[in-house]
Amino acid sequence: MDILRFITAGNVDDGKSTLIGRLLYDTKNIEADILKSVHTANSTGPNLAHITDGLRSERQQGITIDVAYKYFTTAKRKFIITDAPGHFQYTKNLVTGASNTDLIIILIDARNGITDQTRRHSQVASFLRIPNVIVAVNKMDSVNYSKAIFNSIKSEFHTIAASLNLPPVQFIPISALYGENVTTGSENMRWFTGKHLLAELEAAIPAHVDSKKNRCTIQYSSGGANEHFAFGKIISGSFSINDEVIIWPTQSRSRITKLTANCNEVSKAIAGDNITFYLAENQKVKRGDLISTGLETPKCSIAITANLCWLDDTAPLRLNHNYILRVNASEVQCTITEVIYKIDVKSLEKYNDALDVEVNTFALVKIETESPITFDLFSDVPNNGRGILIDLTSNNTCGAFTIESSK
Amino acid sequence: MTDHLELLEAEAVYIFREIAGQFKNPVLLFSGGKDSTVLVHLALKAFAPLLPPFRIMHIDTGHNFPEALEFRDKLVARAGLQLIVRKVEETIKTKNLDDATGKLPSRNFLQSHTLLDAIAEFGFDVCIGGGRRDEEKARAKERIFSIRDIGGAWQPYNQRPELWDLYNGRLNEGENVRAFPISNWSELDVWNYIRRENIELPSLYFSHERQCLVYQGKLIALSDYIMIDPTDVIVTKNVRYRTVGDMTCTAAVESDAATIDEVITEIKNSLVSERGETRIDDRFSDAAMEDRKLKGYF
Repeated sequence: MDILRFITAGNVDDGKSTLIGRLLYDTKNIEADILKSVHTANSTGPNLAHITDGLRSERQQGITIDVAYKYFTTAKRKFIITDAPGHFQYTKNLVTGASNTDLIIILIDARNGITDQTRRHSQVASFLRIPNVIVAVNKMDSVNYSKAIFNSIKSEFHTIAASLNLPPVQFIPISALYGENVTTGSENMRWFTGKHLLAELEAAIPAHVDSKKNRCTIQYSSGGANEHFAFGKIISGSFSINDEVIIWPTQSRSRITKLTANCNEVSKAIAGDNITFYLAENQKVKRGDLISTGLETPKCSIAITANLCWLDDTAPLRLNHNYILRVNASEVQCTITEVIYKIDVKSLEKYNDALDVEVNTFALVKIETESPITFDLFSDVPNNGRGILIDLTSNNTCGAFTIESSK
Repeated sequence: MTDHLELLEAEAVYIFREIAGQFKNPVLLFSGGKDSTVLVHLALKAFAPLLPPFRIMHIDTGHNFPEALEFRDKLVARAGLQLIVRKVEETIKTKNLDDATGKLPSRNFLQSHTLLDAIAEFGFDVCIGGGRRDEEKARAKERIFSIRDIGGAWQPYNQRPELWDLYNGRLNEGENVRAFPISNWSELDVWNYIRRENIELPSLYFSHERQCLVYQGKLIALSDYIMIDPTDVIVTKNVRYRTVGDMTCTAAVESDAATIDEVITEIKNSLVSERGETRIDDRFSDAAMEDRKLKGYF
């Protein structure tokens, strides 16, 4: 049994919480006492939407403010649901939730069709390069299960998907309220020949590292003069005993003399493994170093161009102001030297003006670092081509970026 | 790596190493329950062949199951870890606080005082806990690195963005972090992992005979900490604990499950959630946990 992490993104009344409730309920992943707690006095059945909202204000206002995580399993796999807010002002929380997912369900209310929110959620999927995208057209029961309405939404979304370079999109007409095409088919929509939502979720391929470039991030190191242990994670490719390695950014060279993965001594470890290793002649490494082999080395530079999402609601992006830039465990000071363009999340048009880059804004920017950083392009080795910006005063995470090019 | 337990374990080990790499003075909070026992197991794995670079702390409410204390001491000694114990009883005395009263007195709120005092005493910048998002709806919203303000409070409406696996543990003066390496584990994941790794647990988790008070349909172990009235119904049953908290606010479940396999089968067939079945302290209100977290609770 493996794990699929997915996020549901939808507008306030698109029925997002109802859909999650429906998935949990139909797969028998809600316990009796929880179900009882969401039965309201006047309704005939459980209020499925109330299963997910965890904070007092959320229940009072009937909205989702921050990400909540829910879990369910079927015979096929374990699912981690990231329930994210739909409101514009909480886009930063949506980005947080979506960053760790294999799949996004973009929910559209059949009565309203594609809205600004749909385009914004699609922009988030594009920014993070989420590998699987499902568009679920909900509330089909309210539009007479109309195939024409479904098809018109589908063709309009195709234009968005093309402009944002999204992966192939699956479209499913559903009724979360009545459980149609969610975990079973629908008598009312026999015209739909695709799989229901749960079947798509069970079939989707989780995000995986397919790069052969060998990269290991060093998180921690310890030990004395005679024995120095490096603790890290292989983020791409593989490493073997006796591999000649390069330690970045110093570019000193060494050789792996002993390698353990998950406490077992091994001759080879692969992407995803947490490893501990020793280098020849007790060569030392430290947190923030990156290890590669001699072939296809990472880029090392003081200038990058990156797609950025600004996340700080207390201050806009400030040009030529110092921030901390972090890629994996490596941190250096940096400045943003230029905003090349911003993206209007309503129209998805690129534009430029003299106004600040405010919270929830997407932009393409140039960043310069105080000392060289070691990285790959996001399109090439995603795990080594993305990072965060940290405000030096508040220590808050104020931006997230993916590296588009080096310089 | 495609097995869900392997993936969850790898995520937890990675988080432990981030904690060691980012903080000066971490501590692992240990309760004697299954989740913190799994946490200790993962910590040992994360830093092998070295010992984890932090100590273990138990906030002792004084209402513990003796079995849990015995287990704690045995585990810590065997693993070669350093244990710190801080007692709620002491906090009550030195701060002149009102002790919990009533039929089933819960020191849950008082525990936060002792925890915050201990954080100040030792200067811990991060406390590692076994909280899981599937336990409770307020926990479901918490980040892996959860920043607590100068008063130890969680700010649920102003949480730091936390993207990918880039946990930001940078702190301002007075702040500290609560870190949750097993956030994404379910109760069943914990048990399946215990089975796979053959992790020893306190005997409380397996069927045993016990005298209990029947209170609002729940079975509460007889102890010196609770008040028995003449009209109370006392029964002797085969029970086990699904969670281990204080004797005064943790209910036993009737069970004959004596092995890990039998426990797993029982949980799979259970219609009731873990906390719903066993915790008296969450039944006061819809936001009981949220309120405790706002006051410095784990």
